[in-house]
Amino acid sequence: MYKVIIADNIGSQLINGIFSWSFLQFIIVFISFFGFVLTSAVILVLAERKIIAWVQDRLGPIHTGPWGLLQSVADVGKLLMKEDVHASLIDKSLFLLAPSVFLAPVIAAFAVIPFSPYLQLPGTALATGIVYYVAMSSIDIVAIVMSGWSSNNKYSLIGGLRGAAQMISYELPLVLALVGVVMLTSVLANSGIGTISTQQMINYQSSSFWPGKGIPFWDFIFQGFTPWAWFFLVQPLMFVIYYICGLAETNRPPFDLPEAESELVAGYLTEYSGMRWGLFFLGEYGNMTIVSAIATILFLGGWSGPGVGFLTTPGMAFGWQVLGNILGIGYFLIKVYSLCFVFIWVRSTLPRLRADQLMQFTWLILIPVTLGNIVVTALIFLILNSFGLSNLVFLIVLGVVNFLMLVGFVMIISRATVATTRRAQAPAILAQRRAAAAQLPERAGAISGPQN
Amino acid sequence: MVTNQDSETLTEEIEGAEGFKTQEMLLNMGPQHPSTHGVLRLVLTLEGETVVDCTPVIGYLHRGIEKILENRPVMGGIRYMDNADYLSPMLNEIAYVGAVEQLMGLEPPRRAQYIRLLVGEMQRIASHLVAIGTYGLDLGAFTPVLWCFRDREGILSLFEALGGSRFNVNYLRVGGVLHDFPKGWLNECVAFLDQEEKNMAELETLLTGNEIFDARTQGVGYIDPQQAIAYGLTGPNARASGINWDLRVNRPYMAYREVPVKVQVRQEGDCFARYRVRMQEIWESIRLCRVAIDNMPGGTISTRTPIALRPPRGETYFAIEGSKGELGIYFISDGSEYPWRAKIRGPSFVNLQIIPEILRGHKISDVIAILGSTDLVLGEVDR
Repeated sequence: MYKVIIADNIGSQLINGIFSWSFLQFIIVFISFFGFVLTSAVILVLAERKIIAWVQDRLGPIHTGPWGLLQSVADVGKLLMKEDVHASLIDKSLFLLAPSVFLAPVIAAFAVIPFSPYLQLPGTALATGIVYYVAMSSIDIVAIVMSGWSSNNKYSLIGGLRGAAQMISYELPLVLALVGVVMLTSVLANSGIGTISTQQMINYQSSSFWPGKGIPFWDFIFQGFTPWAWFFLVQPLMFVIYYICGLAETNRPPFDLPEAESELVAGYLTEYSGMRWGLFFLGEYGNMTIVSAIATILFLGGWSGPGVGFLTTPGMAFGWQVLGNILGIGYFLIKVYSLCFVFIWVRSTLPRLRADQLMQFTWLILIPVTLGNIVVTALIFLILNSFGLSNLVFLIVLGVVNFLMLVGFVMIISRATVATTRRAQAPAILAQRRAAAAQLPERAGAISGPQN
Repeated sequence: MVTNQDSETLTEEIEGAEGFKTQEMLLNMGPQHPSTHGVLRLVLTLEGETVVDCTPVIGYLHRGIEKILENRPVMGGIRYMDNADYLSPMLNEIAYVGAVEQLMGLEPPRRAQYIRLLVGEMQRIASHLVAIGTYGLDLGAFTPVLWCFRDREGILSLFEALGGSRFNVNYLRVGGVLHDFPKGWLNECVAFLDQEEKNMAELETLLTGNEIFDARTQGVGYIDPQQAIAYGLTGPNARASGINWDLRVNRPYMAYREVPVKVQVRQEGDCFARYRVRMQEIWESIRLCRVAIDNMPGGTISTRTPIALRPPRGETYFAIEGSKGELGIYFISDGSEYPWRAKIRGPSFVNLQIIPEILRGHKISDVIAILGSTDLVLGEVDR
């Protein structure tokens, strides 16, 4: 007769696991990040309204709280108190689940975002961080199709399918843009094997050379904070393309066709009201934050800033470490919200792309460009390596070439979109000309000049 | 007349290219829809996303303006003309009083004619600003519409100072205008025009060179010049297809006999051309306003006509160049103070007829772009 050792082990694992400091840390960090995602969405709602208002020469919300700061509180309160209206012919289970399916992956994706050297969910240790993020953003597509289909509404269906097509298509250049960055880490790693972990990405962006090394003041500022080693300088084109694909992933203008207000009323969101709609919107702003966060980590050096690296070196006192972590969070948030500001700025400025132009843009322009970038990066590395030049030269050359590619990219787009549109419209124009010629009697020519 | 029942029952099965059957979908756009510029209902027959056919259904804004005009003396009816094309009321009033004056053989004083030119051109600026702003909004650009409406506020404040009301000013009378300018109004006008030129330059940078805007509007919604003439298209829609016809030049009336107008014509005939023609017409109107202010003659502002005016028996047709095209009034009088018939030739009503023709073959998003570019105002269509 032996003891049921398994139960005993589980018991002691429970006691040792749940009531331990590390579990408490996990709970605190989990709740605070969950709160961060939702708070960030709420802040962005207000920020968007204010910033768009300032661009449009008006004030935005000013009545709710000082300078309208409590507007989001009012919005959330209103949404919670609204009646939950369902159309009668909807597909009930899909309809009710879709907002949650939309919001959950967005929150889950935050598991791989390191906010500061110490404050991060255990998920940041995930060695496949970037792939996990891309997987999470792919689940949103399912949610959009669910909501479009279950609403039993032609407009919603069209919106949902458009949204799905758009998001699937823009996943590809997004991943390929990130591949370029991963290649950089492989080059910079001593072992020749790079990383796709978000935590390691930040470490790769801090170089060990900075001006005034050895002098404590400059050490304080520059240790860990080396903007010249950030990947957006080495691959600016990939940064821009990643950002554009991020715009498309989150259904933000100029890619907001699925929720185009003036065309499909609200697309796949038409039948949702109250907090269900609120969840969709939280998901969209959360998605914005996540795209900005990943862009910050991969291209802008994550939480690095003056003082963070210095204050969080392993030997420092606990108080300094806390300060360093807080500074890290601060810099991270500054960078993330700067990118979110660009999201809002773009929304207030640019009109909307049509569905086929969207598709043409990604399949005919973005994917070849990103693939070409991968090829070019590899070629440059191989050529420079065969000359035995150092990594620094490789980075500089790659940065210059990429910047030139960026300039060329911008110039090509302005010519390519117009040309493809004219060619796409040609059949309609020709059909009209033929119909007009067939129906109308021949005239001596259009009226021109005064007819007195 | 397409009723609701037809939406459910009228689906056709057609043979696809490879022999499998596809179904055409009937999509009802409007009457309540953010982009159909008023209560226009378009019943679109779609195959996938391509429009195969389109039936516009109108009448949702019919208020019986022409019938009301028959029951009001002429002076009382002027205010109802404001409601026809509610985005350019002054121009409607000019057409109505011009028709009565033409029937009576009455020539308003020169000062009145120049004042009418001034307010008419300002009203044209205001109307085109709405057209451009809402066009940007339809295409997803949220900012131009607010800048345009901010510029419009300048014009509307000037009208409020002039006639007491921002929109439906009821400022024109048979024989002239209601009263003269308030003190300093012309200086305010000049200040507004200076500011407007700066604002227009800003607006151009936002929309005109934008690649996305170009891609949405160039090559879309082509109107053949022969088609345009056959359907009776006038105004910026026709001038964008190369038809050089502007009533201010080809059939000059009032002060336009003295003030030359440079007609803005483009050859491409697509949505972008219509947008450009409107932008350039705003610049041209600003110039005309300055000319009118600089050359404002003195003298009386009206030859007073009796309140219960009895035009002589007869009928006449008088047309002006409205902001959307040829705005005409066919006025029949039987000698009493009430008009026998005042028919309004609304340019938008005529321009609307070409919509089904040009929508064929385009996608749903293009429907929005094309509708917005033709600048329909349902007040004129339905009256």
